[in-house]
Amino acid sequence: MEAAALAYLAAGLGAGIAAIGAGIGIGWLASSSMEGAARQPDAAGDIRGLMIVSAALIEGVALFALIICLLLVVLV
Amino acid sequence: MITRIRSVAVAALLLLGVGAALSPGSAYAAGGDGEMTLEGIVNNTIIGHATDGNYYNLKPFGTVELPRLMLARTAEGRLTLDVYGSTKSLLKSGPYGLVTHGEGKHKALTTGEERLKEAFATKKHLHSSVARTSGHVVMDFSITKHFVLSFIALLIVTGVFVTLAQRYEKGIGRTKAPRGILQNMMEVMVVFIRDEIAKPNIQGDKWKKFLPYLLTAFFFILVANILGLIPFFGAATSNIAVTGVMAVMTFAIGLLYGSKDHYLELLTGPPDAPVFVRIILVPIEIIGLVMRHLALAIRLFANMLGGSLIIFSLLGLIFIMNVVFGATAAWASTVISIGFTVFILLVKLLVAFIQAYVFTALSALFIGMSVEEHHHDGHESETASKGDLESRLDAVEEVVEPTSA
Repeated sequence: MEAAALAYLAAGLGAGIAAIGAGIGIGWLASSSMEGAARQPDAAGDIRGLMIVSAALIEGVALFALIICLLLVVLV
Repeated sequence: MITRIRSVAVAALLLLGVGAALSPGSAYAAGGDGEMTLEGIVNNTIIGHATDGNYYNLKPFGTVELPRLMLARTAEGRLTLDVYGSTKSLLKSGPYGLVTHGEGKHKALTTGEERLKEAFATKKHLHSSVARTSGHVVMDFSITKHFVLSFIALLIVTGVFVTLAQRYEKGIGRTKAPRGILQNMMEVMVVFIRDEIAKPNIQGDKWKKFLPYLLTAFFFILVANILGLIPFFGAATSNIAVTGVMAVMTFAIGLLYGSKDHYLELLTGPPDAPVFVRIILVPIEIIGLVMRHLALAIRLFANMLGGSLIIFSLLGLIFIMNVVFGATAAWASTVISIGFTVFILLVKLLVAFIQAYVFTALSALFIGMSVEEHHHDGHESETASKGDLESRLDAVEEVVEPTSA
């Protein structure tokens, strides 16, 4: 296979795998924070704020991967 | 009242939809530039609209070329500042040529009247880089699209908050209730940042010192993000340079105002750890500190770039369908594309707020981590916590039995 074709393939696969990882991470985060909010409705506001910050941190890792995929596509 | 809100919401939705249809890159994407190939659509239209450039695209009204400022070193070794009104005039009257292919020292330059005219006709000069025919460019200070957009965001934020500050100076909002939609809306957000972001994350009274920076960062990012949703504008935050500078500012504040404890822990490791653990932990801590701020920049940048790429890809799908499957498929995919685009635009509106919040919250967290001071005297902190507990108990008693106090 050509180098360019391999790069496109890698970028596509990488984006998919990064999405799987981020999906699992944010899914777990959402499930446990919802559980927490359901058990203790008083703390729902705090939990929401913490959830957004941690979701952003998880998303950040996925976006690192996405940027690398974009670089593969654009620079090759 | 509710019907009024609903009609406003419907109008906003319609505007968003029309905005998507009118925004440059959709209806006029394939017009005139010879971009009706797959590569042309992807490279010039989708990526060209999302990334930075030395031009401001106002299709269908034309393209404005922005000034070029080049700090260059001539062949004799003298530093000069070349200032031209546009890329066109830079190429026409300056000692510059268009890089057609190749890199480093072996690049081929397009110069000369005839060949340049050809490049201008295909707008090639907007999408490829320029280089000096003699000597080399030291630094490119050219004004770019994202510079203009961040300047617009800056002007909006300054305009809004200077007028509001004058109102507070007169006493509206301090002695009387705040008046008008703008002042109420902004006060809600300012108070939110003060109470929910600055106070919980930064120890003691120190939040007062950092609140102005956090507010500036929040509102600049918010306005820049929202500008990305308006036709003919774009998000300045979808540029790694803009977000990078903002992250560097957070980093610099953390370093400049960092407490002695923070530096001690950063450079010598945790106080009660054995020596070999410290040797391992110190580099990790330092790398972690840099990576935190790098992630801060990349998170905002990637979110905004991702959003605009998705929108342009969805709209570009229509034109890609036209090239690959013909006109009927293009018409059919129009409905789906526009529908998805409106949905993504609404998501982007949410993301604009969330990302501004996240950047500010994480900045506050990082600044708070570095300015935090530990209580060294264990005994003192114990009594302090005891006093704290007592005062809390008093507060609880007061709530339970208000008359006892």
